[in-house]
Amino acid sequence: MSFYLDYQAAKPVDVRVVSEMTIYLNQKFANPSSLHCEGDEATDALGGSRQKVADFINAPNPDSIIFTSGATESNNLALIGAAMRNKKKGNHIIISEIEHISILNIAKYLERQGFKVSRVPVDQYGIIRLDKLARLITDKTILLSISTASNEVGSLQPIEETSEIATKNNILFHTDAVASESVIPLDVQKIPIDLVTVSSNDIYGPRGVGALYLKKGVRVNPIIIGGGQERGIRSGSENVPGIVGFAKAAEIMKTEINDEAEKLKSLRDKLIKGVLETIPKSYLNGHPERRLPHNAHFRFDYIEGESLILSLKDENVAAATGSACTSRTLEPSHTLIAMGLLHEEAHGSLVVSLGRYTQEQDIDKLIEILPNIVKRLRLLSPLTPPDLIKKYNEVNE
Amino acid sequence: MNKMKSTQYTEKVLDHFRNPRNMGEIENADGFGRVGNPVCGDLMFMYIKVAKNNNDEEYIEDIKFKTFGCGSAVATSSMITEMAKGLTLEDAYKITRQDVADELEGLPPIKMHCSNLAADALKAAIDNYRTGSEPEVEVATSCQLEISVILGFDEFLGKGAYKGIPKDLGEFKDKRILIVDSGDDSLELGLKLTEYTGRVIVVTSSKEVPGREEIAKKLKKSDVKILHQSELLEIKGELDEVEKVIIHDYDEDENYELFVDVVIYLDYRG
Repeated sequence: MSFYLDYQAAKPVDVRVVSEMTIYLNQKFANPSSLHCEGDEATDALGGSRQKVADFINAPNPDSIIFTSGATESNNLALIGAAMRNKKKGNHIIISEIEHISILNIAKYLERQGFKVSRVPVDQYGIIRLDKLARLITDKTILLSISTASNEVGSLQPIEETSEIATKNNILFHTDAVASESVIPLDVQKIPIDLVTVSSNDIYGPRGVGALYLKKGVRVNPIIIGGGQERGIRSGSENVPGIVGFAKAAEIMKTEINDEAEKLKSLRDKLIKGVLETIPKSYLNGHPERRLPHNAHFRFDYIEGESLILSLKDENVAAATGSACTSRTLEPSHTLIAMGLLHEEAHGSLVVSLGRYTQEQDIDKLIEILPNIVKRLRLLSPLTPPDLIKKYNEVNE
Repeated sequence: MNKMKSTQYTEKVLDHFRNPRNMGEIENADGFGRVGNPVCGDLMFMYIKVAKNNNDEEYIEDIKFKTFGCGSAVATSSMITEMAKGLTLEDAYKITRQDVADELEGLPPIKMHCSNLAADALKAAIDNYRTGSEPEVEVATSCQLEISVILGFDEFLGKGAYKGIPKDLGEFKDKRILIVDSGDDSLELGLKLTEYTGRVIVVTSSKEVPGREEIAKKLKKSDVKILHQSELLEIKGELDEVEKVIIHDYDEDENYELFVDVVIYLDYRG
């Protein structure tokens, strides 16, 4: 029996999605660009899928959806494409300190290409400072990219207000909606956004597919050049089975999102309560209310995250950490640092994310085993203060 | 095996992580070694008890450790205690990082340097025994004796940097506050501010919790975070407002960035 609590890293593909896409792998396999009947069938499948993904974010026109290979490519197309297209207007781009690594690294790339990038700071909860955002804008600012939520600590960003600031200043506004797309509906007609990144896997579709929404009139330079598919904005033969799966996932998500989010929130709240009540010197990172309903991000003093994950692994529980010791660069999470945490505090973090198949027993299991795991590691740690060790030992006797 | 993944450990590493040998402290240890830094994610304490064998050679009679860190930090500490126990000091001193890694049937390459400090910790404990130096005891001092110039302090004065106690502490609600330890007044202010915000950090040159006994006691119990053996070097911000500070940790001789909204240094005379 395993307990999967790492839905923000990867999600399983919904069986309803799998059955929808299978025939496009081996039976309806034709290229939509072909002129024969089989090609027409593929074109129809592509068109229907585009409509479903457009409906998912309430986009008025299916042509506003550009299919890509996933969220990272969508972010590349949005930032590099829009920056290159608008470089005569200006060279200044604004992102936040806590964007996903793909946005951060694209911004670094653009800096090397001569663009100037400002990073909006966040408060202690990991929410962007709107007052500072407004003041960072100059007459050279062409693009603003703020995700809907932190994919790590789960803090929801003030997207509506950000959109207003962008509109008022006539700046393109891009949002990476991946972190929130499985739990919070996005309506691009209600909140004006120029470019939106969505991913298939994050709504229980197959990996390797995503989309970029481009509002009518918004132009970007292509970053992948070839046969002119996707209105010339993204060349390459379309991944029809993947796109069909993505669309089915979007269709399911649209109808189930609110019930699912509510269920996950109540499980998540139980987890937060259970952990903070039973473990001394434990904290919730991020905002207590303004956070993704399926995310809990904890911090435990005196212990290190990789040890925590390894210990959970021994109990068949899968979760994540922002500790440096598990990253490729050995640097702790940039999000936690931007929130004002010290390195040693960032090391002791545990990220738990819930999803469609999370059961109450998954949460109960974690609440049951975590106090003892934290205790064991604290008894091992030279940082644990003597009075806490004493307290732990007293309980033993 | 994916060698780039930092947690692909051998069964032996996992065994030592799950069941660490010789974990704990030795009271009145003959030698004590401390290596690593919690900022980097690893800290090891190594304790040894030394006796003489039949050949009149000194050997490690008992050894214990405590470790904060990742799986391989714990496993290497545990492993070296098994390797060193019973060895003469001379032989124990020769154990290298590579020996420990080999005994564990290998470590992920990325971990070879960062969390394989156990051999250093043992050497430090043996050095401590041989030189016979008493573990240094520092009296907690509460003042930064050398007043140095903090870059950016004047620039950000009134824009997040303060050198007096502001009249209305309410303006600090939910702010991330850094206080430079300049004596008991500054520490009391720090304690007071915990009523307004969850994030108060005190930077102090002291190794121990600063302040006179009563205040130090309160600080220990409070949520005030203390940065020991450190000093504030610089204040930075893009919009004429405090955004982050550079802290120098002189124990480690390292600088790092810390995001804060407010810096308070009472009576700053830079």
